[in-house]
Amino acid sequence: MSEVRTLIVDDSSVMRKIVERALRQAGLETMVVHEAGSGVEGLDLLRAKQVDLILSDINMPSMDGLEFLRQLRAQNLAPGVPVVMITTESSEEHVKQAILAGAQGYIRKPFTAEQVKERVLPLIHAA
Amino acid sequence: MPVSLRESLQLVSDPKNLDATVEEVFKMMLGIDCRRDSQPAVIEPDSVTAVVGFGGLLSGACLFKSGNHTAMKIAAQMTGMEFTEVDDTVKDGIGEICNMLAGAWKGKVPDLAANCGLSIPAVITGRDYNLHVQAPEFKLVHSYRFGDASFDVTIICDGLQ
Repeated sequence: MSEVRTLIVDDSSVMRKIVERALRQAGLETMVVHEAGSGVEGLDLLRAKQVDLILSDINMPSMDGLEFLRQLRAQNLAPGVPVVMITTESSEEHVKQAILAGAQGYIRKPFTAEQVKERVLPLIHAA
Repeated sequence: MPVSLRESLQLVSDPKNLDATVEEVFKMMLGIDCRRDSQPAVIEPDSVTAVVGFGGLLSGACLFKSGNHTAMKIAAQMTGMEFTEVDDTVKDGIGEICNMLAGAWKGKVPDLAANCGLSIPAVITGRDYNLHVQAPEFKLVHSYRFGDASFDVTIICDGLQ
């Protein structure tokens, strides 16, 4: 698979590392990773860099993942780029909110590399 | 129709949910087989406690507490790094473990998953501190072990609608 430019948005640096490791185990060994510690940082980064895939936590201080997603769509940043939300929130209502805000995928924490592979790779291939 | 958790109190407070949650989080995120221990966790004087609050139909908190040794061991497993002190990365990792425990625990009861929010994790380090909640609705305190490491997970419910 060609180099995939990926943005990981999470206020936890440890979770960013874990998500990156899971993506590499899922087959994206050669990806380029950009990291953001908040939704605001993520939006700033997307104004300067192009990416092919975005993974974002939901429960973050200052700007949560859903607001990040709404701003991303409203400002037409990264058009057509798949966004996958990664979160501890697991109810149908939370999934619905994420999809309505413009997410293409949803991964519940805790997760395995296999689950990341199943949810993320089809989105990259389809994009 | 308004949802009430009071009718499902037995399900919400079922100790098996907490054990299944801890085993699942440690297996999936750390590759560690972790089991409930009948003996209390051995917590050194210097310890790490992470707290994630619940709000909504259930108010209370999920707490993770371990000695520094166990906290560093867990963070090492999460990151692939080695730690000699409880630095910001260790605290971040333990906060995330507590966040996943809280989320996965409430996810075991559908009405709770949909009607109970989680706070951002807070992490306390140091020695000689206690957390006290007056007359909780229910409280689960379980100890777990993997290898030579042990820790406590507590669910405190101080209000249920």
